[in-house]
Amino acid sequence: MRNISLIIGREYRERVYKKSFIFTTILMPLFMILIGAAPTLIMEFADSETRKITVVDESGIVAPCLESDEEVEFVFSDKNIAETLIATADDEDNFGVLHIGKAIVENPSDARLYTNSSSSMMLEESVADQIEKVIESERLKAYNIENIEEILDKVKASVHLATFRTDKDKESAASSAIASSLVGMVLGFLLYFILAIYGGMVMQSVIEEKSSRILEVMVSTVRPFEMLMGKILGIALVAATQILVWGVLLVVFSAVIMPALMPENLIESVQQVQAGADVSALAMQQDLAPEMLTALASVLDTGQIAMVVAMVLLFTVGGFLLYASLYAAIGASVNQAQDAQQLTTVVTLPIIVAFIVTMMIMKDPNSPIVFWCSLIPFTSPIVMVARIPSGIPAWEIATSLVLLYATFVVCVWGAAKIYKIGIFMHGAKPKLKDLWRWLRY
Amino acid sequence: MSNIITAEHITKRFSAHTALDDVSVEIPRGSVYGLLGPNGAGKTTLIRTINRITLPDEGRILFDGRPIEQQDIFRIGYLPEERGLYRKMKVGEQALFLAQLKGLKHHEALLRLREWFTRFGIEEWWNKKVEDLSKGMAQKIQFIVTVLHKPELLIFDEPFSGFDPINANLLKEEILRLRDEGATVIFSTHNMSSVEEVCDHITLINKSHNILSGKVDDIRREHGGNIFSAQYKGDAKALIERLQGVCKVLAHDKNPLGYSSIKLHIERNEDVRSVVAMVNEAVELRQFTEEVPSMNDIFIRACQQG
Repeated sequence: MRNISLIIGREYRERVYKKSFIFTTILMPLFMILIGAAPTLIMEFADSETRKITVVDESGIVAPCLESDEEVEFVFSDKNIAETLIATADDEDNFGVLHIGKAIVENPSDARLYTNSSSSMMLEESVADQIEKVIESERLKAYNIENIEEILDKVKASVHLATFRTDKDKESAASSAIASSLVGMVLGFLLYFILAIYGGMVMQSVIEEKSSRILEVMVSTVRPFEMLMGKILGIALVAATQILVWGVLLVVFSAVIMPALMPENLIESVQQVQAGADVSALAMQQDLAPEMLTALASVLDTGQIAMVVAMVLLFTVGGFLLYASLYAAIGASVNQAQDAQQLTTVVTLPIIVAFIVTMMIMKDPNSPIVFWCSLIPFTSPIVMVARIPSGIPAWEIATSLVLLYATFVVCVWGAAKIYKIGIFMHGAKPKLKDLWRWLRY
Repeated sequence: MSNIITAEHITKRFSAHTALDDVSVEIPRGSVYGLLGPNGAGKTTLIRTINRITLPDEGRILFDGRPIEQQDIFRIGYLPEERGLYRKMKVGEQALFLAQLKGLKHHEALLRLREWFTRFGIEEWWNKKVEDLSKGMAQKIQFIVTVLHKPELLIFDEPFSGFDPINANLLKEEILRLRDEGATVIFSTHNMSSVEEVCDHITLINKSHNILSGKVDDIRREHGGNIFSAQYKGDAKALIERLQGVCKVLAHDKNPLGYSSIKLHIERNEDVRSVVAMVNEAVELRQFTEEVPSMNDIFIRACQQG
């Protein structure tokens, strides 16, 4: 025991006291936020200039209804298309010429956009949208229905389906499928990241010990099993430290900073939603989409966050221990990182499968494939963690945890055997067949 | 003298070959024991078997007369042939870590390390990273870590490889000092002059077999074939007549003006003292020595025969 704790301490200190660890721990959440915000930011900054489009409308119907906005400015030309094209050819401000045919209402494809640089999909879509609307209303008018516009206005509806969890003690706390599957996706990605990165770290460090020949010094003093466990647990502690820091940052962020940033009456509304009040009415009052409000409510629920963090920690540790022992066995059986390629593929495959299955949770967190993958130990850490925010029965979580930890024990036993033999094997690159032989040695 | 290590009929097979085939070795307490043999003979495997890194397929290792146990490795200090330290760690931190693994308390380890670092004059290395040390420097650190917990048995695999003559000498002195303090030292080597200087017992392993074992002096004498040489001043003819029938003259280099030399083969049952007395009577004796072969010659001859 003393040896294991000495080794754990060494492995832990070697990593946590490194500058790069402190940087990644702090920068990673920022990085994640940046990635999340990237699409919005790109849209904000790209395409900011207004593009001028000259319109030649032979039908005379569309042009009056085209509306200029921030992106497109429509200019109308009374010349025919050939003349307009020549006239605008040298005008650098002019982005393109839109030609609308005479029979546009009957033949909606009779519209062309000539541009002298490549256009964007957004722009094409918005122009096409506007033309479509004009054509639609023209066609409706042809039916000669009275008060058609009023009728259309009344027909329009926007539905928000508020879902309520009935299995909770708290009577019908609001939950939003979108919010929880988003949180699930982020958690699934986090687990994927941790298993792949930290698992690889274990392998790397075993290979390093083997090639620097420190192993022989160590093994003459401690048992190979102690070395293996010390290393795995030490790196597990590093991973746990990192998640804990992130978790604490998240809790602090949601408990302190978010309320401070938001207007007071919005907080009240959020709290009311958390207490089970009607979302739609409150959303109306705050001039917010109901989804947004429920998402805020679940993100700001500190109790919920603490529960999720605890579960993530349990699954992370279990999943990590399982994969780390496999990675350690690989590291022990090869002489250099390049030789590990073939063997790591076998281990990485379930991680990738699990990550793909995580995407399906968005559609249905209880579909059979998701259900089974969240119980099978090799995929369960990632899939289950991604499912948890959607609300999973306790027995499923418990079964998954028990299976995971039982498999871990078996894998460590096997890995220790391979490790014991592998660390003194220098020379030929081992095949899967050799590993199997060492296992039965 | 009791044996600290007794290896009984050790056999160790690997998938492709047999590394040790029925090897028995007895290592007396307080000795400096040399394990000799060409590359790939099985020395390192024998060493790894002694300190329990690998288990033998057949045979057993006795430590102090009883089968060796896991706790006994705390009484062994082992310096492997392939030296290795954590490259990213600082020297002092690493030495402390390894010392604590050997069972030393933090405080005690620190005290002893300070003492050794002062003895080797390397105090300023304490906060250096291992990767910044030269190979020889790293070996010194590793030597310190090996002996720090004052083990009764020290095992060095090729301790002199990679050391310059000055440091090799320092190492020899340290080995003898440790023996004088009561430790038993086993080391494997190719360096035959160090065997003659340091070892009192050897075992020669060739092709997985123990082909020669015993005290260095005895082995050299046995392989010498009882050849003696003498230097004298005086009448060569009288000397040869005197020795007639007592021993065989192998070579004779007569020098009427200065010292002559003669090489004799004395039968094993003949009393060497009486031969010396006869020579002394016949001529003025200056030197009388037994011609023992060097360990180098014995090594090469034994390996070629096997």
